[in-house]
Parts: sequence; C-alpha cells; structure tokens
Amino acid sequence: MSDSGSKESKSRDVDGDQVTSGDSIESKVDFIAIASRFWYSSRWFLLFIGLLVVAFRVTNSMDPNWGRLANTNNNLVTFFQESLWPPDWSVIEAQAYPPCLAAPGLSFTCSTAWLGMIETLKIAFVATILGMTISFPLSLLASRNLSPNWVSYPARFLLAGSRSLPSIIWALFFVIVIGFGPLSGILAMTVYTIGYLGKLQYETIEGIDRGPLEASKAMGHGWFERSFGVILPESANGLISQVIFMFEYNFRHGTVIGIVGAGGIGYYINLYLKFLQYDKVIAYLIIIFIVVLILDVVSIYARSLFTEDGDVRRPSWWSILLPPSMLRNKED
Amino acid sequence: MSKSVIHLENASIGFSPDNPLIKNLNLDVNQGEIVAIAGPSGIGKTTLLRTIAGLVPMLDGEMTLFGRNSKASRGELGYIPQRLGLIRHASVYHNVLLGALTSTAGAWFPFSFEARRRTLESIDAMGISEKKRTPIRLLSGGQQRRVATARTLAQQPSIILADEFLGELDEETMESVLSKVTNYVRTNNATLIVVEHDISRAKRMADHLLILDDGQLNPFVDQPIAMQISMRLDKELDI
Ligand SMILES: Nc1ncnc2c1ncn2[C@@H]1O[C@H](COP(=O)(O)OP(=O)(O)OP(=O)(O)O)[C@@H](O)[C@H]1O
Ligand SMILES: [Mg+2]
Repeated sequence: MSDSGSKESKSRDVDGDQVTSGDSIESKVDFIAIASRFWYSSRWFLLFIGLLVVAFRVTNSMDPNWGRLANTNNNLVTFFQESLWPPDWSVIEAQAYPPCLAAPGLSFTCSTAWLGMIETLKIAFVATILGMTISFPLSLLASRNLSPNWVSYPARFLLAGSRSLPSIIWALFFVIVIGFGPLSGILAMTVYTIGYLGKLQYETIEGIDRGPLEASKAMGHGWFERSFGVILPESANGLISQVIFMFEYNFRHGTVIGIVGAGGIGYYINLYLKFLQYDKVIAYLIIIFIVVLILDVVSIYARSLFTEDGDVRRPSWWSILLPPSMLRNKED
Repeated sequence: MSKSVIHLENASIGFSPDNPLIKNLNLDVNQGEIVAIAGPSGIGKTTLLRTIAGLVPMLDGEMTLFGRNSKASRGELGYIPQRLGLIRHASVYHNVLLGALTSTAGAWFPFSFEARRRTLESIDAMGISEKKRTPIRLLSGGQQRRVATARTLAQQPSIILADEFLGELDEETMESVLSKVTNYVRTNNATLIVVEHDISRAKRMADHLLILDDGQLNPFVDQPIAMQISMRLDKELDI
C-alpha cells in the first residue's frame, strides 16, 4: 500500500506541471483519476507484494533464529564428506540371501534397490487402479451438475475425508490395524487416491459442457446412461490424464510409506537410516530420483496424448510405434 | 378430431420473474402439426423450446404434454438444440445411439440390435454414413447439425423440438434433411415445433407460422413490409 502512495505523489507532480495555467479543481480530479487507474492496473502486483511482506512477518513471528542458517554450510560439508559420499552402490548388487536365481547378467534384479523399487511400483499401480474404480462412481455422485445436493455433499464429505490425511498417515493406520507389508501400503494409497483423484474427477465432470447434458436430460436418459454414455466419453481425456498423473504421484509417495513399514523401497531407506549407513541411503535416494524423473517424463508424454482439443488427430498407440511412412496410406 | 399435444396456458417464460421473456402465453399444438416460430434474435425462442423440453422451469402458468401435467417421459420428446449438445469426443455412431436407446425396449446400449439398426438407418438418412466412426469434433458445422438431427430421428419421438436445425446447410442437403424430418412427422403423426429464421422456408414446411415479438406469440401476417410497419405504429400509438 505504501508503494502506491509514492507513485500517487509522483503522478501528482506530473499533473501539477500540466495544469499550472489551469484551475486547481481540474488537477485534483485528474489526480484521483490517475491514482485509481494506477491502483486498478497494478492491484494484483500490489497484492502480491503485500502477501510477500505478510509471509516474512509470519516467519519472524515464529522465532526462526536466523543465525542458525550461518552454520548450514559447514554442517552440510562435514555431513557430505564424512557419511554421504561416495554412495554405497552395493545396494544394486544381489543380496547374499535368498540365493539369486537370475541369469548372471541380471543379478541386479536380486538387489534390495530393485526389489524395493518394483514393489513400490506395484503398490502404486494397484492402488491407482483400485482407487480409480472406487473414486469414479463417487465423483459422479459428488458432481453438482449430476446429483442433487443431498447426494453430492455427503459424497464430497467422504472424498474430503479420505484425502485429509496424507498417505503416510493412512499407512501408519493400516500398519497398526493389519500389520507390516505391502498390503497396508496398497490400502493406504488406495484410500488417499480415492479422495484425491475423486476431487480431480468431479471438478472435471462439473466443468464439462452443459449442452450434452441438457440434450441427454431432454431425451430422458437415466442416471446410468448419462454417466457412462455422456459424461464418461465427454470427459474421458481429462479423466485418463488424471489417472496417469495419480499413478506418478502414488509412486513418488510410495517411496516414503515404507518408512512406517508399509512396503516398498522406503523400508530399506528406513533400515539403513537406523544403522546410520547414510552412504547406502544416498544410493537409494539417487535411484529414486532417477526413476521419478523418468516416470515424470513418461507421464507428461502419456498425458499429452489425452489433452488435445482441436483438429489435430491424436496419435494412437500403434501409430507411435510405426514409422510415419507406413502410416500415410492408412489414413481414411 | 386431433388432440392437443402441447398445451400452454398463461405461461410466463424466462429467467427472472420480474422480467419474463414471454408473458401470458397461450399455445396449443395438436398432434400431427408442424409449427414454425420466428422472431428477432435474443427474444426467447430457444428459451421457449427449452421450457417445453423441461430444461427451464416455467415462471408462471401451466403446461401439459399429451394431456399430462408432467414432463415428457423417456424418449417421448426429441430436442435438437441450437448448439446441438453433441459429445465432441465421441463418434457419430455413439451420439446417435444415445438417441436410439431411449426408445428401444429393455436394452442397455451396446447390446440392442433394434437400437443399432435405427442408429445406422438415421445416420444413413442424414447422408453421413461414411463419417459414422469419426469423432464429432472433426466434423464440419453442417455435418454436426445433421448428427443432432439423426440422433432425434433415431429416437423416434412423438414431439420434436428443433432449434434452427437447417442452419449451415447448402440448398440440396437442406432439402433432403427437411424432407426426411417432415416425412417422419407426417408418417408417424408426430408433432414438430421448429425455430426457423427463413420465413419462406418456414411457411413452406409449417402448418402454422408464429412470430415471437414483444413477449407474445402472434400468427404471422403475410403483408407487405410497409403495411406491417404501419400496423405496428398503429398499435404503438394506440390508434
Ligand atoms: N441461462 C440463462 N440465464 C439467463 N438469461 C438467459 C439464459 N439463456 C438465455 N438467456 C437470455 O434470454 C434471452 C433469450 O435468449 P434465447 O436464447 O431464448 O434467444 P433466441 O430467441 O433463441 O435468440 P437467437 O435467435 O439468437 O437464438 C437472451 O437475452 C439471453 O441473454
Ligand atoms: Mg435461439
């Protein structure tokens, strides 16, 4: 706000020059007009500056002890040199027990990193599919353009409830209830997926064009036909790309839930953290980083196939695999 | 003795009760009739059709369809919206099938042979057979309009509400679409209300031509423009 004040006074100077020969009433009117125009054109920027100031003051109010930042560098260097580096790549070598049955070149498939990673991927995959199966009907119920309020509000409440806790808390819960292992992880991530994916889905459904819905209403379609004959094809692109996003998201979070004993690569990270073998931990982290990066790229590409809207013909899966020269005569 | 299929009594139509688009409308459309409605843009023609289709609540008055005081039941009413309401990412076939399955007994959509037959038949009648696997978004404006018409024909409804369904078509295609629809209406003794801007076309297809203006639906008076203007002036000046 103080910013705007200084600019206002500047604009008054300019005005003053212009109206030296004119009457002062006009200059006053001009000043207000210019000030309000300035406020109007830069209000979002001023708001943003205001938010930054607030954020800084809030941090200060929590007594952050800024002085501690000064030691960060030393701590980091010591920690890095003494325990982190170099990474201990034994994590991608086959475990001593159980005996590795894979072909000699593939012995890495018996390593803890590989086993953990594959388990995390499996958990994410199953949780995404299960979660989607449950969240889609729920999101239909939660959409206000499909369901009356007395249906949509309870459905929203259910969805909000299952995403209000992060998946690691759900994992903790299921580990306590049904014990250690990937099943707890699957259930935890499924619950979270229902809430999160369900919200994305009902927002997509509420965003679809009103026209097809009205036509469907006029024709007299039932709930089932409207949901699966109209809504599903109309919003399919959005829904598919959200599922792909959700799988990627679940994989990223799946690396963590092992820490509370719910399966996946997080189990090993937790194990070696306890033994203070940070060089092994960093090896796992690097592997996770690389896999997440790859999955991220694959996910972006896969989703790009389903976000098009226009006159471009979407490539089908087989057309990606074939050279363009073979495709040209297949166009109809 | 023809029976009244659409009956509106003292109907107020629009979105705000203080300022309805159409006031105190009385309208009776009999079975087998074709009624065309014309009028200036933004006057409420589409809103009138949407009200009859049960998509916009009436502000006041009464409406009966088939003598019943309720909305049309499943498949009874076919609506060709001005903006078509097609599913852009689905194929022509899928869109038309959605119409057919509302009036084919006891079948859920992929499995009914009767629905399938009707779908293909009306796609063919609209001359878009070679596009039946194409998604709507890749069709031209006129082709999309014909898909919406095909969807309604496949439905075999007793009432058709058509909002400018002949737009964007060349003369020849327009004639063919028009004759298919009027044929359907005549042979099945159905009822058609059509919003049509082209007065001469409207007169040719319809039994009655109504003009929506000043919140009222009046019979079209075929007089030279000068006469109409002077009549209007008379009305306004209360002579
Ligand atoms: N959902 C809505 N809520 C509020 N006002 C609306 C709504 N839909 C339409 N209107 C208004 O109602 C008036 C009549 O609209 P309508 O679509 O019925 O006109 P029309 O006679 O069909 O015109 P056109 O010939 O251009 O299609 C317009 O002024 C429009 O802005
Ligand atoms: Mg209109």
